[in-house]
Amino acid sequence: MQRCHLLAGMSDVAAPSAKMASGQTGAMDSQQSAAMIRLQGVVKRYRKTTALRGVDLTVARGQLFGLIGPDGAGKSSLMHIVAGVLAQDAGEVVVNGVAIRDERSAEAVKAQLGLMPQGLGLNLYPTLSVEENLRFFADLHAIPPEVVSQRIEQLLAMTQMSRFRDRRMQHLSGGMKQKLGLMCTLIHEPQLIILDEPTTGVDPISRQAFWELLNQLVRERALTALVSTAYMDEAARFDTLALMHDGLILEQGPPDSLAAGQAATVLWFSAAARDTLRPCLQDFSAMRLRMEAGQLRAWLPQTQREALVQKLDSPPVRETPPTLEDLFMAAVGAPHDLTFDWAPPPPASAPVEIRADGLVRRFGDFTAVDHVSLQVRAGEIFGLLGANGAGKSTLIRMLTGILLPTAGSGEVAGQPLGKAARQVRQRIGYMSQQFSLYPQLSVLENLRLFGRIYGLRRRQLQQRIEWGLDWTGLVTDKNEAAGRLPLGKRQRLALLAAILHEPEVLFLDEPTSGVDPLGRQQFWGLLHTLVRKEGVALLVTTHAMNEAENCHNLALMRQGRVVASGSPRQLRSTVRSRFGEVYALRVDDTARALATLRQRGWLAFAQGREVHVFVAGDDASLGRLKAQLDEAGCVISAIERVEPTMEEVFVSMIEGTA
Amino acid sequence: MNLRHIRALALKESREILRDRIYLALAFLVPVLMMVVLGHGLVLEVRHVPMAVWNQDKGPLSRDFVDRFRLSEYFDYRGELTGDQAVEQALKRGDVRFVLIVPPHFSERLSRGLTAPVQTLIDGQFTYHARVASGYVQAITARFNQDRIQDWLVRREGLPPQRVQQQLSPVKLEVRYLYNQALKSEWSIAPGLIMLIMLMAPALLTALGVVREKESGSIFNFYASNVRRVDFLIGKLLPYVAISAINLLVLTAMALWVYGAPFKGSASVYAVASLLYIFAAGGIGLLVSVLVRSQAAAALITMLGTMIPGFMFSGLMMPISAMSPEAQREAHLFPAMHDLEVVWGVFLKGQGWDFLWPQVALIGLYAVVVLTLAWVLFHKRVKR
Repeated sequence: MQRCHLLAGMSDVAAPSAKMASGQTGAMDSQQSAAMIRLQGVVKRYRKTTALRGVDLTVARGQLFGLIGPDGAGKSSLMHIVAGVLAQDAGEVVVNGVAIRDERSAEAVKAQLGLMPQGLGLNLYPTLSVEENLRFFADLHAIPPEVVSQRIEQLLAMTQMSRFRDRRMQHLSGGMKQKLGLMCTLIHEPQLIILDEPTTGVDPISRQAFWELLNQLVRERALTALVSTAYMDEAARFDTLALMHDGLILEQGPPDSLAAGQAATVLWFSAAARDTLRPCLQDFSAMRLRMEAGQLRAWLPQTQREALVQKLDSPPVRETPPTLEDLFMAAVGAPHDLTFDWAPPPPASAPVEIRADGLVRRFGDFTAVDHVSLQVRAGEIFGLLGANGAGKSTLIRMLTGILLPTAGSGEVAGQPLGKAARQVRQRIGYMSQQFSLYPQLSVLENLRLFGRIYGLRRRQLQQRIEWGLDWTGLVTDKNEAAGRLPLGKRQRLALLAAILHEPEVLFLDEPTSGVDPLGRQQFWGLLHTLVRKEGVALLVTTHAMNEAENCHNLALMRQGRVVASGSPRQLRSTVRSRFGEVYALRVDDTARALATLRQRGWLAFAQGREVHVFVAGDDASLGRLKAQLDEAGCVISAIERVEPTMEEVFVSMIEGTA
Repeated sequence: MNLRHIRALALKESREILRDRIYLALAFLVPVLMMVVLGHGLVLEVRHVPMAVWNQDKGPLSRDFVDRFRLSEYFDYRGELTGDQAVEQALKRGDVRFVLIVPPHFSERLSRGLTAPVQTLIDGQFTYHARVASGYVQAITARFNQDRIQDWLVRREGLPPQRVQQQLSPVKLEVRYLYNQALKSEWSIAPGLIMLIMLMAPALLTALGVVREKESGSIFNFYASNVRRVDFLIGKLLPYVAISAINLLVLTAMALWVYGAPFKGSASVYAVASLLYIFAAGGIGLLVSVLVRSQAAAALITMLGTMIPGFMFSGLMMPISAMSPEAQREAHLFPAMHDLEVVWGVFLKGQGWDFLWPQVALIGLYAVVVLTLAWVLFHKRVKR
């Protein structure tokens, strides 16, 4: 009884404001009122840079709208302008029927709007408990006291956070911080929520849960969500998305039609086919080549597919539809040949350069790294995956000798950890998470400084720098101040600085975080040549799951522990043998389908409007699945077998075994 | 004004402060520490100057002469030295800052009615201290000379000593110091420091409190809500005013009982003026926080912006009337000058409302102006 009353009360609260909003701009036509956000020619300049160069954007009501783009694309500026907390320099901004022109008109949209700024939990108050945080946001939005408690209960139940209501925000895990941030954004039941990179730095499981929750909210509450992400592989999660780069929206539309709109296909070949395919670029000038997952990947217009296949002696290994990343590459005018010499996995005889044996590191009563064991051979790229706070950086800092382990042992470049630190340091390179070069110094000055720190002789250093500038393509930038380089080049410079002294072991901590797809591809190309030509042992951390494919071996860390490890192929086949193949289902009601499947014990995830489900066994089990969905009243419009993404691999390994 | 918003903000802020140990320490320990450190460091009296003597005479007169220095509270006798080298080393090492050298035959020459030279070596690094110390030396020497003349006259003329004294110094100087009869510099310094600290601490805390949210991004919670600017500023300011009010009581207690200052005037004037002054100081902090984005910049600007007026333009180090005309005009721009007048007025001069109301009004006006300025400059829809 009380619950019904509550719900009725809530819609009462929302209704008058909606009326008010539409009343303010009486002259609106119906088409405009259908849009939650409408931007026209929006320009935003900062002192030295231009963040937005004339953005047009329309977001329809009730949509999960994605803004995808690398760091510095202008996503945050755009979201802040829409939220009315940042003034645009030019252009029209209409949100929820209100034209935002000044501080006063911005106030009119804020009652119906929730903003979650960038940075995991950074807008929350660390020393306040979960409930105190929620109550504070409720007070900020002047929610009637009689509904506050019930609304908090509802949100806590929905996010499964009820148990943690009294826990201080600073003691929450990344995923829980993210949920709390979302709850605080939802507490006043806004019609529009704006989430700035909510999934950055969150582990795959929490990420999966987050997207499902968001989907559910958008569907059930007719909420409009504007969500930004730096990960291209999250594209499929949105109803509509806009691809941003350098202050402009390059492409905009539903993910399917954007990908299909390329009228292209992707053919995969073995890495060895590189020599035969590169000359083909002369005849097939539209073709784009790059490396992924140890294979050569050729994107080309559908119309030229037959011609290419006929010209080649060996047929492609497989064929997939083009992705958003392909669209990005085309839109920014990336070079057509982005292939590189893929480093094969090292032979089993290769010496082990990095060995960790039950490494533990505690800070007070907090265990940052919990009995981690791994080994990396010369010529191997080892990927350490995990969210912020999973313990990756702490592990690297122990292996580089910066931090002493609490327990366990290890060996780097033939020396035991904690001993002969100086000798070891001459033989390892380390590129830290923060940009550790001097932004005011030029590229050349930085390199000279780092070379001298490592004790290189003048002539030797000169040779290394010449070689390195050429190798990284930074020759023309050598006199530019390091701080003024674009992020992709800055990271290449940092890599170069870390390998000037020709180390045998290289540690890279989040080297590609925030770098655009083109920059990533180029960076990984450098890593592969380095490993192949110099036989370096390379340990790299990332929280982008799609980069996992570039590594020979992987370990996924969660809360200080390694929860899964092996080569990408091994992990895939383990998942296949344990949980079956992945099928993508198109259904009319994603939430119901998901709930039904989970109830029946299937391992299923939401992927935008699709449901991905692991189906073990033969066609019979697929039939059983269809029947069960049918029974629940779900209409399946399409069903297709797909490759599991690395994210799905990890989520299934953890959830499926738990 | 929306009381719910203000209450929520103030409550949240207080919780954060109380649960963050470092911030809590900053809020309550720093003012006390400043009072202790500056209170002892700023004492302007020169006493207990470490000294040594190289007495090459050893006669009765030289011993009398040296004893006058040894027994003086202005000097701290550290021992006897012998030889130029020992003297030089003691001064160089900084063991002593003053050395008295009595040459041989001092007593003999004086007894024979001749003059006797005496050398004093004073460390001139601290010019003020050196000058004061040299004044003490001259005074002690003059006194010694006068006693010698007195002795001589008594012996030669057979007059009673009292008579001789009257004849020697016919003008009797009667000095009475008002408001701080004993000229104890602590009495003036301690209340003066309250003025200084109550300007710096509230400004610093408030500025950091706001800029912290700018750095983390939680300021967007207000930007994106319908909380009014004035409510935000008040809600943010109130906890720091409360903390500062507690600090005010602590510092006042320290001035009274640690430094022994008297409190002769109106407590109500002191309370009202101090509270307004805290608001003004907090307002300065808010103003700074509106203009800058990082905690480091906020701390630096607030420190400079409060320390300079607090020290230089308040009258604490130098009377306003002794400043150049420009400096005097600048002094009037800061509330520090008026608060110092109030503080010294109530502690030392025993003044009340009748005398101090203009100062209190000016402090209040200052608070209103600064807070209004902060409000005008604070925007929820920012430019960058």
